[in-house]
Amino acid sequence: MSMTQLPPGFKITRETDSEEFFINMGPQHPSTHGALRLALRMDGETIVEVVPHFGYIHRGLEKQGESMTYLQYIPMTDRQDYLTAIQNNLGVVLAYEKGMNIGVPEKAEYIRVMLSELGRIASHLVFFGCFGGDLGGQTCLLFGFKEREMVHDILEEVTGSRLTTNFFRPGGSRFDVPENFIPRVKAFLDHLEGAMKDYERFLSKNVIALERSVGIGILSKEDAIAFGCSGPVLRASGVDFDVRRANPYSIYDQLDFEVPIAHNGDCHDRYNVRIAEIHESMKILRQCIEKFPKEGPYRSKEKPVKLNPGRYYSEIETAKGLYGTYVVAASGDKPYRIHTRGPSFPHIGVLNKMCQGGKISDLVVVMATLDPVIPEIDR
Amino acid sequence: MGIINFAPKILDPIPGGKYVVNAIDYVVNWARANSIWPLTYGTSCCAIEMMSSSMARYDIARFGSEVFRASPRQADLFILAGTITRRMAPAIQMLWEQMPGPKYVLAMGACTISGGPFVYDNYSVVRGAQNILPVDVFVPGCPPRPEALFHGLLTLREKILKETCRNPWHEGDTQDLSQLDRYREAAKAWAELEKIKDEEMAEARAKFKEENPDYKSSFKPVRVTKEAFPEIAREHEISLAEKSSKGLSKADMFKALKNKFASVTITGVTAETPEALAEAETAAVAALTADSVLEVRLNAEDYLAAVEFVKNDPAFKMDYLIDVTAIDYPDHFELITMLKSLEKKHQLFLCVPLAKDESIAAEKRATSILAKVPSVSHLYAAAEIKEREVYDMFGIKFEGHQDMRRIFLDPEFEGFPLRKDFTNPNMIKRPV
Repeated sequence: MSMTQLPPGFKITRETDSEEFFINMGPQHPSTHGALRLALRMDGETIVEVVPHFGYIHRGLEKQGESMTYLQYIPMTDRQDYLTAIQNNLGVVLAYEKGMNIGVPEKAEYIRVMLSELGRIASHLVFFGCFGGDLGGQTCLLFGFKEREMVHDILEEVTGSRLTTNFFRPGGSRFDVPENFIPRVKAFLDHLEGAMKDYERFLSKNVIALERSVGIGILSKEDAIAFGCSGPVLRASGVDFDVRRANPYSIYDQLDFEVPIAHNGDCHDRYNVRIAEIHESMKILRQCIEKFPKEGPYRSKEKPVKLNPGRYYSEIETAKGLYGTYVVAASGDKPYRIHTRGPSFPHIGVLNKMCQGGKISDLVVVMATLDPVIPEIDR
Repeated sequence: MGIINFAPKILDPIPGGKYVVNAIDYVVNWARANSIWPLTYGTSCCAIEMMSSSMARYDIARFGSEVFRASPRQADLFILAGTITRRMAPAIQMLWEQMPGPKYVLAMGACTISGGPFVYDNYSVVRGAQNILPVDVFVPGCPPRPEALFHGLLTLREKILKETCRNPWHEGDTQDLSQLDRYREAAKAWAELEKIKDEEMAEARAKFKEENPDYKSSFKPVRVTKEAFPEIAREHEISLAEKSSKGLSKADMFKALKNKFASVTITGVTAETPEALAEAETAAVAALTADSVLEVRLNAEDYLAAVEFVKNDPAFKMDYLIDVTAIDYPDHFELITMLKSLEKKHQLFLCVPLAKDESIAAEKRATSILAKVPSVSHLYAAAEIKEREVYDMFGIKFEGHQDMRRIFLDPEFEGFPLRKDFTNPNMIKRPV
């Protein structure tokens, strides 16, 4: 389609003599967080309607998955939500385990929870940076990425890769963790404890950040549920829903943590919920360090490659929200159909609702607090 | 740049003039090579590594490239960070055309070199940036580490330092690119090699079979019973079963639906008599484990009423739509609506078999809509984009949907990719 045509999808009809105009934002734009295109209908500086156009990074992962073996598909999940690739691995592996009837040893469960929580911290630190950066404070970007690199050092030592981890396997994980894993995590947590104080002093009470985010992009509780939002976006609107609590997987039912909730549903609440989640993740990690079993296998001895015919669904709570995997297994070592439900897709669906009547500069803040990852939407 | 390009023509014939030209080259190249301003562009995973490289730890400013420009009109370097899809390719070319010369392209990551992990069975990925743009430097990796990106930048710097105004950079030189799909040629050559190898190995294989008649491949059979590990010490009393029993139990849910809609069955359960069927269904529901989801099957006529029922019924209260997706079987589609109650924590999947429209001629089937089903987007706002995705991928039309357009693919795209019989000239089959 030619880029100069008037984009389709606008629903509001207006008189032809109105002074409205259209702005095309993306697919290459620094604050759309990837290849997302937004068609904006403007009245002066006020947004009348936002229409998102997806598909600029649609890579046909689901079609491709049908010709790959189950295990070959695990690295493909890394490339969906690359900010927390390790959690996506967990999501797909949990679905496989239901079909393989394979158990997971205790140590593997702890490795899974610890790496997932480290991934959550890394993702929320990127959010912290991008939120500050989109408000105009480039310093936040530098700060957020500084601690994130430390998480990636740990991940690299354990999994062998910084970003695309490809680590979990049905029945456990690919390798055992190295000896200095626990001391390293402990040292990182001690460091982050101090760093978080700095961060919060920097942005949480910052007058400019408050002016730009309090009361901006309000998402009501009813809309958040109806549009299928999940994760911090849903919790910032006052809904107490976390998959780790509601439908616990792995050993999350044995860990003591709070589910942070806010009630206004504006940008500042979404920021606050994420910062509180970093603290909760740290709490979980500290408990895991206490309980981490020294002995025992890190994976099941069996290495199955096939699933029993049937349909399997797993859901986990990634840093962005509810990540579901639906696998239809037939005979053979390849899935008949594999489908991913990513959390970012509904979040962009609700963007129009949140931005209508707001200013165009607020759209950037709303996008930052939704924290979408576009390849996970397009797949 | 005009004057500099003319300088060699005037100065070179004059005795000693070539030293002046060399000096101009030196100064211009020194300036260019030390302030390469990249364009802020990124589509996927590589973009995050590109961001990392410009942050505190790696600090791209050491190489003079910290000024990431949001506008192509101010940029010198186009770092192609991330997969290039067929839909994005025209936008990328447009961006490149807007950049002022001299401009350079750095292809970062496996996707922009060859298609990377997205080579086989893929209809939407451009296999290599060289097919759409002239690339100066390739940086391999998936994604490349920031150090690798720096190596790419330094390689580009070396290239710039060798430039001279005697042979100026013309836009025309790069305009006519060969659109050759190099990958396809390589794949063909590879297939031929495999064929030769097979012929050579045939004798040895026959011999092996003769010597080991009982040989079987080492694939293990699938597990039927769940593997047990020692129970993890449970300090807290909340167990999985208790958590999920907060709402309706699976048996209650099935019973309530069965009473309301006669066509409700459990997926995969069949029996000859109605009594035997009812018994088998009850047994199937009872056999479901705590961490599995109840999947009920019902006719398309009951679909809308069933969704309305589970949404508004106070016992069900399914207020949250997880997803809508579909499966393509040879003779029918199956639409799957995943519902959840945030308050009561129970889940329910509705499977609706949709017969394929047989009246459409065989040659038109691939590009036409084969099934229709009522939309639930007026009940769940989330269904609006999900149903568009199913329409885009399977060609199932949702009646009553306000905005039934393709969502991921071009409006001109032919066919529906997730159908099993989908073919596309851009797809390369994965060798078995």
